[in-house]
Amino acid sequence: MAESNNHLVTMKGINKAFPGVQALEAVDFSLQRGEIHALVGENGAGKSTLIKILTGVEWQDTGTITLENEDVFIRSPQHAQDLGISTVYQEVNLCPNLTVAENILIGREPRKFGRIDWKAMNSRARQILASLDIDIDVTQPLESYSVAIQQMAAIGRALEISSAKILILDEPTSSLDIHETEKLFQVMRKLKSDGLGIIFISHFINQVYEISDRITVLRNGKLVGAYETQTLPHMELIAKMIGRSLGDFADMTRIKLESSKHIKEDALLQARGLGRSGDIEPFDLDLHIGEVVGLAGLLGSGRTEIAALLFGIEKPDSGSITVNGEPVKNHSPLESIKRGVALCPEDRKAAGIVDDLTVRENIILALQANKGWLNYLDKQQQYELADKYIRLLNISTPSADQPVKNLSGGNQQKVILARWLVTNPQVLILDEPTRGIDVGAKAEIQKLVLELAEEGKSCVFISSELEEVLRTSHRIVVLRDREKVTEFSGEVDEHKIMHAMAGGGS
Amino acid sequence: MMQTISGLISTNRRFIPLAATAVLAFVAYGVGAIFYPGLREPQVFLNLFRTNPFLLISAIGMTFVILTGGIDLSVSGVVALTTVASAALLREGWNGWTVILLMLAMGMTLGAIMGGFITYLKVQPFIVTLAGMWFTRGMCFFISDDAIAIDNRLYRILGQTKILIPGLADPVTQQGDYISILVVIEIVVVVVAVYLAHATRFGRTIYAIGGNEQSARLMGLPVNMTKMMVYTLNGFCSALAGITLSTYVMSGHGLYAQGFELTVIAAVVIGGTSLAGGSGYVLGTLFGVLITAITQTLIQFNGQLSSWWTTIVIGALTLMFIGVQSLLAARKGGRRPAKEAGASALAIRRKRRLLLWGGSGTLIVIILAAFAINSTQITARSSDVGTPQVASRSCEIKPFRREQAAELMTEGAVITYERNGGPNCIDELYAIYQDGRIVGNDGTNEIEANVSQDDLDRLFVGINENGWFTDEMYNTWHTPCGQCYGYYLTVAYDGQEKTVRGVDGGTDAPADYWQVISLVKGVVPKFGAP
Amino acid sequence: MTQRKASFTWRKITENALFFPFVALAFILLFDFIYVPGFFRLETRDGNLYGSLIDILRNGSTVSLLAIGMTLVIATGGVDLSVGAVMAIAASVAAVMMNPVIIGLELPPDLMKFINDPHFTYAPLWQVILVTLIVATLCGVWNGVLVAYARIQPMVATLILMIAGRGIAQLITNGVRIQIFYEPYAFIGQGWIFLPFSLYLVAFVFAIAWILTRKTAIGLFIESVGINFRSSFYSGIDEKKIKLLAYTFCGLCAGIAGLVASSNIKTSDANNIGLTLELDAILAVVIGGTLMTGGRFSLLASIVGAWVIQATTTSMYAIGVPAFALQAIKGLVVIFVILLYSEQVRDFLRRLTSQKEALSS
Repeated sequence: MAESNNHLVTMKGINKAFPGVQALEAVDFSLQRGEIHALVGENGAGKSTLIKILTGVEWQDTGTITLENEDVFIRSPQHAQDLGISTVYQEVNLCPNLTVAENILIGREPRKFGRIDWKAMNSRARQILASLDIDIDVTQPLESYSVAIQQMAAIGRALEISSAKILILDEPTSSLDIHETEKLFQVMRKLKSDGLGIIFISHFINQVYEISDRITVLRNGKLVGAYETQTLPHMELIAKMIGRSLGDFADMTRIKLESSKHIKEDALLQARGLGRSGDIEPFDLDLHIGEVVGLAGLLGSGRTEIAALLFGIEKPDSGSITVNGEPVKNHSPLESIKRGVALCPEDRKAAGIVDDLTVRENIILALQANKGWLNYLDKQQQYELADKYIRLLNISTPSADQPVKNLSGGNQQKVILARWLVTNPQVLILDEPTRGIDVGAKAEIQKLVLELAEEGKSCVFISSELEEVLRTSHRIVVLRDREKVTEFSGEVDEHKIMHAMAGGGS
Repeated sequence: MMQTISGLISTNRRFIPLAATAVLAFVAYGVGAIFYPGLREPQVFLNLFRTNPFLLISAIGMTFVILTGGIDLSVSGVVALTTVASAALLREGWNGWTVILLMLAMGMTLGAIMGGFITYLKVQPFIVTLAGMWFTRGMCFFISDDAIAIDNRLYRILGQTKILIPGLADPVTQQGDYISILVVIEIVVVVVAVYLAHATRFGRTIYAIGGNEQSARLMGLPVNMTKMMVYTLNGFCSALAGITLSTYVMSGHGLYAQGFELTVIAAVVIGGTSLAGGSGYVLGTLFGVLITAITQTLIQFNGQLSSWWTTIVIGALTLMFIGVQSLLAARKGGRRPAKEAGASALAIRRKRRLLLWGGSGTLIVIILAAFAINSTQITARSSDVGTPQVASRSCEIKPFRREQAAELMTEGAVITYERNGGPNCIDELYAIYQDGRIVGNDGTNEIEANVSQDDLDRLFVGINENGWFTDEMYNTWHTPCGQCYGYYLTVAYDGQEKTVRGVDGGTDAPADYWQVISLVKGVVPKFGAP
Repeated sequence: MTQRKASFTWRKITENALFFPFVALAFILLFDFIYVPGFFRLETRDGNLYGSLIDILRNGSTVSLLAIGMTLVIATGGVDLSVGAVMAIAASVAAVMMNPVIIGLELPPDLMKFINDPHFTYAPLWQVILVTLIVATLCGVWNGVLVAYARIQPMVATLILMIAGRGIAQLITNGVRIQIFYEPYAFIGQGWIFLPFSLYLVAFVFAIAWILTRKTAIGLFIESVGINFRSSFYSGIDEKKIKLLAYTFCGLCAGIAGLVASSNIKTSDANNIGLTLELDAILAVVIGGTLMTGGRFSLLASIVGAWVIQATTTSMYAIGVPAFALQAIKGLVVIFVILLYSEQVRDFLRRLTSQKEALSS
């Protein structure tokens, strides 16, 4: 379809295996000049491995890479940069303590007699940012600016380095609000018209549709296909990503409808005017017995902050929480556990697993904290509990004494889930519980959530995948820009929800 | 008006620790000058630089290390090793310049080796440099157990040449205010360091590594090479500091610079450099060293306070500056900017923290200052503070008055006891005679007392019981020390005679030796107020 | 039931925390066996056991005591540099309480003459010990508050007491090295009940620490906090209290070590007691396999680590190495240990022992 001199880079037949897993299998990918090409797939699909190969962090086992009609073998990140391939990562990989100008230009600063020419450096930096339509004081340290600006600086650096031909943006909008995202898209469109090829990795399907020309879908290490964005319907894309047919959705919806019959009037947890400055505006929330409440909203809309307030990770600046009619006095995780509230956090690695401890120890950790330091569960009890939940959640591990860090991401997630189930909570808050889990396990967890609801518990289900939220929740609370906007219950139209999330006009 | 000031402050936020240190230095000196007229003498100010070249040079090297987020505990060992090695080589007749170059090369090599462990074997800097400190200090004693004196023309010139300040000194009479060549070296080092830190890619890479090492790597910066060079550079600075120390005390000993690394680190921290890396200024370290020197000077001028108040004050200052650093660090980070309304609540929280830290820090300093000033006899001291000996802890210990003691023994003394040094530079020599008479002489006054035969006998019994005449008693020479008193005891009894010398601060002499000293101290009369 | 199988594979042995420290100790003892005649000789005199091996245990008791406390601190991901200074403070407090004349306290004339009497102490021994330990514990609390509540980096926070502590100790004794004549006090460091008394102290403190950490959930909490304090916080663990506890206990251990050390030399020497011992303690813990970043710890392994250090010292003395040259040897030992524990070398060894391919970088 495209002439050969429009191809920037073509990857053919890429295979990559790690011990125990085939990360990529016969994957093709091509990028054209002046194109924004989205790369999508669930976690574990192989996106990041593909990119690592393109940027020289990893080497492919077999397969070829052609850059502007020349075969290349990308040896290292430095080599990739020299070839004109630049990457901007989700965690802005710059040095926060250096100035903006330094961050953009360090390593290739203008110099006068061996001395850094600050004036020239600052003015060049201003120039670069101006081409991205940004005007800031480049002599301030990078950390004094918002993540959006920092990302712009990262892009600026990427462009400056040996006149980049290919720009890879890895989840760039995760930390941006609506306006900043729009700004970023403007910049991307301008770069595209300059002839740059941009690879856009994102899990925000709406944004993918808004900005990209073509979409490549990966699933389980294999190429599903490359499509023109305009001609691929939304739901079909989702179906290709998760490998489900549309029929499966209907199934889940039926289960959900049935379980909603068990919802009672009584509220297990009530939040009134609960808020924290800078994190979330004061909101009201009721969690009824037997109910699953889903929180929908873009990343950064305040979902995790609500979870943090409900569980006591952060102390509220205003409002109150009542559990079973009793108000909560000292907001802390321990207090919440004692009251029967549990939180399965979003960041598995940083706030979830204690990686050097064994599966058994991880599972009983919160329960032990609840019991206090004197009341030590003896080994027998620990093993019993651990075994019970290993079986219940189908955790794949050689033994309960395996250090948790040796488990796959999905199994780690199950261990954390087990930790909270062991405490027998009445309210279970799940923040992105299916992130990084294989498709089969995802369905398991979603079913589990509904089962817990049937048992009389109350669940809060947070996920950035709207389909998931829809499938598992009886009621959906929509958040936007750190504010609770509205609630939906019963049969819900996905478009209405997305409309509420985007704030109209999306 | 307030807007512009707060605007100015927020745009230059990162200079706050530096400003705080500078202000503190000026204030401390200023307040000191009010209470102690001696501080108004220009020479006293110049002495701050003249008497601490090793601290400043080493602190500057350490600044670079700490900026990368590392630490180097080996500096004291390298300094000591440099003094011993150079003294030994000079004694063998080596050329002064050759020795200096060799020492610098040695320092750089040691630094590079440790840097290699840290950079390529990825061992924690704390442990590697700790091992380095033990190793280098140990190597000192392979070279020599005792101090070695330096008698070299070049070193003498370097250490003792007075460079008179034009306008403040009279070249004809060679009197007036002066600095030394070492000060010139110091200034050069500071200038070069500032240049490196702010005008070269090397320097900026150092800051980058301290800010986020992984990012620096991803940005293509030569992280490994830079880290190696930083430790090598610090090795160079440690060796240079050792050289300046050798020219200052004209000797070398493995026991020098004990605990030096702590003072260096404290000076860097007080200078506003964060131990986490990535923020701090070389000029800040200069002020940090100044504050350390000013503290020592003030305490010495006071005369009433023991010199270890220095350590307490420095500890308190370190605490305060760490508080300032952690406060400023709390502002950083955070992936999202606060919404307008939310910003005020966050700001309130920060203001509360600022009050807490600034308040407690200021409180501590005020309390200490009040304490210090209160225990001063201001009028008594101000008259004779014209020319302090050195802005260090105490007077040098004078040599043993061996001939005089021997004379006294021939005249019939059975015990001679000399005590000299200390913050007031005393030199007291006592003789205890067969008949119980005690005569003491401190150079200006003579004092007499008597002790009964019974007590004298009991004294001898105690001395004997503590193993005085066994092989366990031995000579030591040990600096630096607490208040630096040297003790020399000669005892003649039962046909035997033995002299032992010791310096406080050393445990090389076994406990029994100190028992004996205290027995003797208990009977001799005292000279005036201590 | 997935109970742990009691299979004694080679893997099991080598991966046990005690393995490397014991190997190191074995090396040194082997060296002694070859080069030092009579090193292993034990003899009994007056019902007490003597010998070089006993010397190692006895002289290593201060570092062992410090290492017990330091293990808990390092396991929480921190470090306590001030233990040497706390030892000095403890020694000063004890000495002053037994012999306050030095600081100018006037005693009635009929008591004055007892001042150098080995049976005289101004305050009863139990008071002396109690007050000293309380003071030392308060030092630990100070460190703990700075680290856990003020969130200051541990190295920095304890550096403050390390710098100022000796000054404080000097202040307590008014700058004088106080001689301690009171005999019963000397028993702490120098006494013998078949085995040196200080050994019983070490065993006692070890027992308390072991019960505290392994018979309650505190050991689990400490390890959890050290590995990932955020995850621990989310799981309901009060990581602030745990860290405070660790530093407090470390201060207490330093106090006991100070009593032992000062009773050994019968002096309170504020400048030199415990000098550089904090570094020995840290090294002992590192040899014992606890990572400086925190996490899993083994008290017994740390004590073995302390013995390794002391055995090195004693062996060197035994073959006539001069006292300060020993430091250089210690430096080399540290380097050897570092290499042994470094990731690179461990990976290399693992690759040797396993047949599988290593992961690419």
